[in-house]
Amino acid sequence: MDYLHEDQYEVVVENVKKSYDGKKLALDGISFHIKKGEIYGLLGKNGAGKSTTIKILTTLINFDSGNCNIAGYDLRKDSSKIRKIIGVVQQEESFDFTTVEKNFKLTGMLWEVPKNIREERMEKLIDLFGLQEIRKKRMYDLSGGQKKRVQVAREFMHEMKVLFLDEPTVGLDPIMRRKILQYIREQAKNGLTILFTTQNLEEADMICDRIGIIDGGKIVEEGTSEELKFKFGTLRTVKITTQTNVEKYINDIKEKIKTVNYEDISFDENKILILGKNVDRRVGDVLGSLYEMGIEVENVSIENPTLDDVFMRVVER
Amino acid sequence: MRMPAFVRLTVRNIVVNIDPGTLIFMLGLPTLYLFVMGFMFQGINPNGGLVVQYHGIAIKYTTFLAPGIIALQAFTAGNIGGSMLWSDRRWGMFEQIMVGPFRRSEYLLGIIFVSIIFALVGSAIMIGFAFTIPVRFNITLAGIGLFILTMVVGTMLFSSIFLIISGIAKSMQAYNTITILLFFLLDFASTAFYPITNSTPGWLHVIAGGNPLSFISDILRESFISGVDYNSLYYSGILFVAMLIFFVLSLRVYKNIRSGI
Repeated sequence: MDYLHEDQYEVVVENVKKSYDGKKLALDGISFHIKKGEIYGLLGKNGAGKSTTIKILTTLINFDSGNCNIAGYDLRKDSSKIRKIIGVVQQEESFDFTTVEKNFKLTGMLWEVPKNIREERMEKLIDLFGLQEIRKKRMYDLSGGQKKRVQVAREFMHEMKVLFLDEPTVGLDPIMRRKILQYIREQAKNGLTILFTTQNLEEADMICDRIGIIDGGKIVEEGTSEELKFKFGTLRTVKITTQTNVEKYINDIKEKIKTVNYEDISFDENKILILGKNVDRRVGDVLGSLYEMGIEVENVSIENPTLDDVFMRVVER
Repeated sequence: MRMPAFVRLTVRNIVVNIDPGTLIFMLGLPTLYLFVMGFMFQGINPNGGLVVQYHGIAIKYTTFLAPGIIALQAFTAGNIGGSMLWSDRRWGMFEQIMVGPFRRSEYLLGIIFVSIIFALVGSAIMIGFAFTIPVRFNITLAGIGLFILTMVVGTMLFSSIFLIISGIAKSMQAYNTITILLFFLLDFASTAFYPITNSTPGWLHVIAGGNPLSFISDILRESFISGVDYNSLYYSGILFVAMLIFFVLSLRVYKNIRSGI
């Protein structure tokens, strides 16, 4: 498919290579594309190439070969046009040595946001990101989490088509993290396209429409969170709670359900934990065996794999 | 009406840099020099104050000192300009601005413009203070023109020097050490505070004679005291060429600055 010329794609990255020293490739032919209004999560270990990808897409560094297109603009030819339609929250802290309020005002002024809109937008963001109490404080008096909040909030002072978020929630408390992720989600619903890098797989699972796992400078797996879990997360845990203590039946139970092909089984008073590939599909057999043995079952639950499981499998294979 | 990008960056630089630390460095220190050194040296000779021979004219030390202190504004403003780049690199704002609707050249213009504004405003304040000492200046239209031109060129020269340091320094310690060393060397081994005489040691004569701050101080003395002549234009020309050389060098360093430290 010719993603470069498809209107529905706001970010198109095709076979991009980048080397810092001319020898080792930081990006080794990375390709992915993001639709308008989509949140695309880029997951990878340290040094996998996430930040290099963001630096290239935000015009900070050049790339050696391949094609990049943002909102219809070619990254090589139209970098100054691209800078006018993107927002960037860097992984490293970035702020002006002045108060929180002035940081907002200066960002608005630099982006030519009309003064009345600037004030209104600043007030809204200060409220939303819980910055009322620190609005008059100077940036260097703030904690790491507070600085990060200002950094993320400040970026929403201006209009943009594509937002690059490089690990934006590092150092934030869980409540604020959830609030910010919700806000980001709302912006995507309003049409903002977002490239989001994180090492927190739970939050990628929570907000990303699609996820690309980057390793060795290229995307090694891509799909929705559910698709990836289905593809790689075949290990399931079946948790059975019984009305009687099952510890005295351990050997009998193991013998009865050996055809289930479990990888591990454990017993704890009235609980049985069975771990294995596709064990969820054999729950009926397990319950039948327990019934035959006269063990009454109180509750059954199947635990699905997490994105952590998928990530670990992909990057360690 | 749309504000050009470099003007927006200039406004941002002014807002960010008007803090007590910068104001003390830019205005407080030269004011102390002007009043403390001025009165202390003036008091060396109890019989009518210290008199300095300048271009064959006997002038009061305070009159001699004031143009030197005004010249210092070009140095301090240039230093502040270089520090802006350093500070932006250190605190991630250089990278943040570079991913915004700006070109590198506009960022550089923003720094140079704010340095020139600081130098001109600072020197105007110093001129005001100088009259309270008092000094005896011979103000002419040509003198005012040469003063403004010299301050602009001088500030651009020092901005370029400090931008080079900001561009190549790898750590805060390295940047601070180099700037402090330059501060003392250029400030005190110059004719800003005292004249070069036959008794000045040869090596100091060479250092002070080649020091751009000496050029600026001497041109300002000619603008305010002895009057603009061929000599002042000749020294202005040398200053201008020096500024061009350092400006081109600073552009080369600046072009190669990678974002982040």
